[in-house]
Amino acid sequence: MIARLPGQEDTGTADEAARRADGQPLTATRPTAWRAGVASALLAAAVVGWAAIPVGTGRAGTKIALIAAIATAVLSVGQLSLSGVRPLEPDVLSGLLTQFAERLLYFVRAAPWAEIMIVAVLALEALHPARPWHTALLGVALIAYLFAVHLAETRARLSVLAPQLPVLAAGVGLLALAVGAAAVPGLPHGGTSLLIRAVAITAAVIVAAMAVPGNDARR
Amino acid sequence: MPDRPGPAVRQLPVSWTLSAHGRRLLTLATAGLVLALLTQRPEFAGLAAPALLLLATWRPHPPRTLAVQIEMVNRQIPEGEIVPVRLGLDGQDGYETALRIVPAADITAGPDVIIPRGTDRPGKPVRLHFQPERWGSRPPGAVEIVLRDYARLAEGRLPVSLPAIRCVPRPAALQGTILLSRLPARLGEHSARAVGEGGEFGGVREFVPGDRQRRINWPATTRLGTLHLSTFAAERIQNVVIIADITADVGEAGLTTLDLALRGAAGAFTRYLAGRDRVGLVRYGGGLGWIGPGQGRRHADRLMDLLVQGPAAAERPSSVTRLPRAALPPGALILVFTPLLDPRLIETLRDLRERGFSVLVVDVLNSSPQHDGSTLSGLASRIWQLEQQAIRFSLTQIGIPVVHWDGIAGLDEPLAPFTRRVIAVRR
Repeated sequence: MIARLPGQEDTGTADEAARRADGQPLTATRPTAWRAGVASALLAAAVVGWAAIPVGTGRAGTKIALIAAIATAVLSVGQLSLSGVRPLEPDVLSGLLTQFAERLLYFVRAAPWAEIMIVAVLALEALHPARPWHTALLGVALIAYLFAVHLAETRARLSVLAPQLPVLAAGVGLLALAVGAAAVPGLPHGGTSLLIRAVAITAAVIVAAMAVPGNDARR
Repeated sequence: MPDRPGPAVRQLPVSWTLSAHGRRLLTLATAGLVLALLTQRPEFAGLAAPALLLLATWRPHPPRTLAVQIEMVNRQIPEGEIVPVRLGLDGQDGYETALRIVPAADITAGPDVIIPRGTDRPGKPVRLHFQPERWGSRPPGAVEIVLRDYARLAEGRLPVSLPAIRCVPRPAALQGTILLSRLPARLGEHSARAVGEGGEFGGVREFVPGDRQRRINWPATTRLGTLHLSTFAAERIQNVVIIADITADVGEAGLTTLDLALRGAAGAFTRYLAGRDRVGLVRYGGGLGWIGPGQGRRHADRLMDLLVQGPAAAERPSSVTRLPRAALPPGALILVFTPLLDPRLIETLRDLRERGFSVLVVDVLNSSPQHDGSTLSGLASRIWQLEQQAIRFSLTQIGIPVVHWDGIAGLDEPLAPFTRRVIAVRR
């Protein structure tokens, strides 16, 4: 963790002057990091809980997926909160306690827990019966969680995401379309029609995604 | 700010990778699409849509190199001083740039700085800060420059090592000086007992042929009826030799005997050099290094360099109990900053006293060996304390005063009994 200097407010004076000259903010990042960390922890709990309910209606393997989702959510939050911790020095603790703490630190940092949590949460959702709007809300919460984790990791302010809002809005619109299509009643039932519908929506999403990068003005 | 010509601009390669945020978005998109196909539930494909759209904003040709110019002070930096680093950057190509100092040991980094996306600041350097917490010559760390694209999917990283700094001990506060009664016959700023050409009035005596008429004291002449003239005290310089004992490094971190010895020595020679005295330094332990008495700013820098240099630079002191004569001018005041834990140094002090030097010891030991509470351990601790008391008593008995300094207050407090009056030289 990078410690704060005494009188830190004064240390950015030259940059503040530069900011005034440029009319552009030179962002001091630290104050919002803990808020993003707390938000990511709450969102992790929310997505796991949302994907899990109701637990009784899930197919075989729901409980295993739920345990995996909870464990990875805890580990991802732990990873985030320990990201600034330096390796332990030998004289901080002694003997077995030091070794245990070092191994725990290594374990928490070793794997991409947030990614594993995403997979576990989606698997948990897939083990439940189809419920399109429920899945859509889960998708929005997952995207919010990913952004919260990113903000906490990079200690950036929420405003850095402002340029991405149009793309995010388009994505959420596509999500709503996909869910709406999935929920449309009256289509013939059966595995083939569902597969065709899924492939069609996937293709629509991919085509929309391919259309986006041409807009240079957004950069 | 800089004490040297402007540093060269370097073109450094940027290594680009998918950011952790990008990896997570990719995971979400892939998992959503795969689940949509496996479960034949289109809502999972919709769930992947926002992540896919964000991934589609990937910019294919990021800048491969960055022009970097680092400007830092090139002088001795006292412990705890905030050191500015000016960083000139060019070639970000509209990418957001985050800069932070990754500190080395005993360095505290200042706040990170972010140059927002699309901000063109050609020729305007970014200012970062760090603070060295302990003396020593070492690199303070590196500046990590991270470029991020529009959707923060890719990260270009560029670590730039900072040049080594020379961090010197923070000089202990010392206002007064210890003055000996007998000073060498060199022109200086201390009023001596001898009669001379100084400005301080010494007394009145009868005129003898050859005396300068401008010194005639007319009130005394009128009162006594014969010619009398004023005499003045000579102004002499004082030779001071400071011995910093670095043989032990025990005690609380930041206030170890080594820290205190170096800070005390730095404070003492800074004060005496400011008073235009001639100051020499002996660095005792790990290697014996010394610099004979001298004056001036450059001499102060040399003394400070000797104080913080590595132990391998000088000869081994394994059998040194007699310090070199060239380091010890006759009649010099010798100030010793030591924890009095090395018997060889104690022998050396006795030898110095026998050679007629005026020696004063500043004891910088503020800790004692820990014991586990057992009777035997307590007894050993008691014996150790008695030994320490005996060492200090024996030095006092041979005319070497020992004062204790805790390293927190200034040096004026322990040295007060000696700075208030002139110390009589005893041979």
